[in-house]
Amino acid sequence: MKEIVKNESENDRSSRRNFLKKVGIGVGAVSIAGIAGSSVLAASKVKSGEKIKLLSPDGTLVEVDKDDIKPASEIVADLKEEARAGLPNRKFSMVIDLARCKNARKCVEACQEGHLLPKDHEWMKLYLLQDDIHTAKYWFPRPCFHCDKPMCVSVCPVGATYKRPDGIVLIDNQRCIGCKFCMTGCPFSARVFNWKDPEVKVPEGHVYDPETNIPATEGTVGKCIFCADKLRKNELPRCVTACPMGVIYFGDILEDTVTNGNETERFSKLMVDRAGYRYREELGTLPSVYYLPPTQRMFPVESGLEDTDESIKGRYKNVGPR
Amino acid sequence: MKKLSIFAILILSLLPVFSIRLFSQEVTKISPYIQLQYFKNTDDQRILQTSLTYSKNRMELPLSGMEVTFYSGGEQKKLIATGVTDNKGVVRLELKSDIELKSDKDGMWSFSSEYKGNDTIDVGKSEITIKDVKLEMALTVIDTIKTITVKAFTKVNGTEKPVSGEAVKIYVPRMFSLLPISELTLDESGTATTEFPSDLPGNKDGNLTIIAKFEENPTFGNVEKRETLKWGLTTDYSVPSTHRALWTKTAPKWMIYTLSVLLAGVWGHYLFAIISLIRIRIEAKRKAREEYKI
Amino acid sequence: MDADNKLLKDLTPELEKTSLTWYITFSIFFAVFAVGVYGLIQQIDKGHIVTGMRDNVVWGFYIVNFIFFMGLSYSGALISGVLHLFHTGWRKPVIRIAELITVISLIIGPFFIFFCIGRLDRLYFLFIHARIQSPITWDVIAIITDLVGCFTYLYLSFIEDFAILRDYADLNVPPWKKKLYKALSLGFTGTPKEKKILKNARIIMAAMIIAIAIIVYSVLAWIFGVTLQPGWHSTIFGPYFVIAAVFSGTGLLIILMWIFRKIYHLEEYITKRHFVNVGVLLTVIAAFYGYFTFSDYLTKWYGSIKMDSILIDKLFTDYYSLFIFANYIGILLPCIIIAFPRFRTIPNITIAAIIAISALWVNRYIIVIPTLETPFLPIQDTRPDWITYSPTWVEWSLTLAGVAVFAMLFMLVSKIAPIISISEMQEKDENEIMK
Repeated sequence: MKEIVKNESENDRSSRRNFLKKVGIGVGAVSIAGIAGSSVLAASKVKSGEKIKLLSPDGTLVEVDKDDIKPASEIVADLKEEARAGLPNRKFSMVIDLARCKNARKCVEACQEGHLLPKDHEWMKLYLLQDDIHTAKYWFPRPCFHCDKPMCVSVCPVGATYKRPDGIVLIDNQRCIGCKFCMTGCPFSARVFNWKDPEVKVPEGHVYDPETNIPATEGTVGKCIFCADKLRKNELPRCVTACPMGVIYFGDILEDTVTNGNETERFSKLMVDRAGYRYREELGTLPSVYYLPPTQRMFPVESGLEDTDESIKGRYKNVGPR
Repeated sequence: MKKLSIFAILILSLLPVFSIRLFSQEVTKISPYIQLQYFKNTDDQRILQTSLTYSKNRMELPLSGMEVTFYSGGEQKKLIATGVTDNKGVVRLELKSDIELKSDKDGMWSFSSEYKGNDTIDVGKSEITIKDVKLEMALTVIDTIKTITVKAFTKVNGTEKPVSGEAVKIYVPRMFSLLPISELTLDESGTATTEFPSDLPGNKDGNLTIIAKFEENPTFGNVEKRETLKWGLTTDYSVPSTHRALWTKTAPKWMIYTLSVLLAGVWGHYLFAIISLIRIRIEAKRKAREEYKI
Repeated sequence: MDADNKLLKDLTPELEKTSLTWYITFSIFFAVFAVGVYGLIQQIDKGHIVTGMRDNVVWGFYIVNFIFFMGLSYSGALISGVLHLFHTGWRKPVIRIAELITVISLIIGPFFIFFCIGRLDRLYFLFIHARIQSPITWDVIAIITDLVGCFTYLYLSFIEDFAILRDYADLNVPPWKKKLYKALSLGFTGTPKEKKILKNARIIMAAMIIAIAIIVYSVLAWIFGVTLQPGWHSTIFGPYFVIAAVFSGTGLLIILMWIFRKIYHLEEYITKRHFVNVGVLLTVIAAFYGYFTFSDYLTKWYGSIKMDSILIDKLFTDYYSLFIFANYIGILLPCIIIAFPRFRTIPNITIAAIIAISALWVNRYIIVIPTLETPFLPIQDTRPDWITYSPTWVEWSLTLAGVAVFAMLFMLVSKIAPIISISEMQEKDENEIMK
């Protein structure tokens, strides 16, 4: 008669991915046939008949043929393949409203928390810029621009960083040799290097996946990845939801829509109405991050320095035209 | 002396009482924020949703795994069901079509959800009153202009009574959120019309979904009507599979050719030098054999 | 034939016995090398944080040394290759040294790249996952090609000498050395046919070496040139780096000529004439190098492009003394010393070479580091080692270790093969006799 409706599950693919990641390392990770959203196994395999009891994504106990279980290394390979393919039929872009940013740094903190970054790694960085003595100062949040003509990808000698069809540029930390050519190739200083062991605590049973890029590995490069893991669950990147001022808009511009979590706008309209632009357009890397000029600010630029830590305030001592 | 000792005994006996009160006062319970909402979707399926959260450091955090009870009716509440909140602090209950709901004199249903609390969390209770409304949406093309007509009415004793003055919002659902198209106000006949933009991208066939909804209406709750049709622009998702550039997996052809030619040329000459070395060795051996014979 | 024997008599003592000074010098170099190895172990253990490199200046001493050592190898390419093709007579006593510089610095150079790589355990990815669109892949291919080519060329020049040493009855060396000469000489007996094969092979390889040298060094220059960074994105970088490389190689050749002349008493063979000739070569190349440098910086300074101006400002304030030394003193002093006959003495020319080679190293430093300190987005940081680059003891020790290994390898080779090519010198004598 009356039923409890289960909470809407996240799309099948992501629950399988999460499940795979949780069960992952060493002890025999799983790829089960016959359960919704699972992958298809090689039909020609001869089964040994030996059964093993496992927990499926929706909490029921199943018995699986031992031959159907894939080793953890294959799981990582699968995850990497999915990471290279990306989300079909999407083109992700970000729009940052410079008129609203007041250096709350919640985006930086959410990003560091979500990707288990050491405190001195900032994938999203906040600059205070002033182009000329007569022009306005403004706070400039800079994620990776995920360029359409990425210099960093062109110069990587081993293909550790790659651009995928949905626009996101990812890094495979298990392929990166740490030559740092991509860091000199990026004109926007978007990449950071792990100069030492990051010493972060990794959750139990975590499997490496370029879409989360956890954990940071010593001797390799890291950068903003537009929270590719969240996008698979149709969730916005961490910096977008963390910003208290709604500065960062994000969306699939093939459907001409961007949102900051509260306000949703048509991307084309936002660009035209607010005269959006890209940073250093003349470099021709075709960034996927657009900026809205800091006109009609809600509050003065200096308010961004009020609640800031002393150690961070010191960064902006010499702000001015170069 | 006697009075003093009696007084002292009284104070001493009351002391534990005071101390108990002191200890219990140190525990302050978390006061949760509980919100009950009513949803009616395009298939006339009705859902009650309760979200249970609490505030910490100016951030709203979910309370998951908590048992929430749903009731219908006002003072004489009738238990519908219980549910457990998920990791976002939300629990949803579908009201089946055969459920008995008593409406009051204004034709409104009452619903409430309660959380009993535990050692650390206070009780929470939320009530709403909902009137059932029928929302209709018609999508027509008039003179090549895509037009949306919405109509809302309530059924009072079998007769239809139009709803006027209420706001109906038009959306197109996108990947992360709903894209607002327009906000309409229903006139006296309970209808409203608006134009739908002709330059909105759809999927590869030009299909998109349009939603007309009452959003958090104090009387009607959340009621929506959605329809998918070919009112969007077709989007071309094709990516050239053998795209060759500096940043792709396959290199531009001219790069491969140039490199091959250069390498072949240079290493070819090296091969010549190595062969020369071998020839010297052969030559020297031949001469040595000759000299030995002589 | 007397001249023959005299040459052999003068050169073979070094192959036969080693003096105490040799052992002491070798030990000192080895100690420096050991300190470098310790530094490397620290780096591998604790991570690159022990160096001075940070997120903005990601390439420091190691890349500077890499370019520098690769550049030194061009003395062999030019002096040996070009002069071989043009049959210039005076080159003969010095080409062996030039060819050895080529090969030894080519061995040392790539090690500095290894030090710069964050994950040495994944080095082989450069081969199995290579992307040919990356300038580093071009560099890997080019360096391997260059190494094989220079080794082959060096070996070709050794064959005749090893044959002579194998046949020299009075040679007083341990049996293993005699066996080595026998094996490496491939049974060469000096018949006209054998000589012809060898000669043709050497001419082909000489031509190849010149071509390879230019390509390899241009590829190295393009690692910088193709990026967008201000100061690096310069069209002149390819030819500029090649000229600078030849300049440094020639300078090193003069220094080594002086050293070996002194310690092996080769005054009769390496004369003032040789110093002056190589010195003139140095001056001509210095002029070209100065021209390219001036051309590069003039166009940057004259134009108003902001990033160029910021870089030029930095060069003229923070790096002023280094800039003047590398690009003014380093060019003008050698030119003056060699241009005026009054100053043209062997010690002076050697000093000019030392100045030239130091100036070249500083020039590399000025190309790599100031650009990385002035990125498009200003460095807004509070930590001083993230704002400016300052090398640590690990980087200094590894740099000195590189120099030490260079010296040690040279010392070792000089004990196996004669430092002047005997066969080449004999050829000259034969020509004279025939006249």
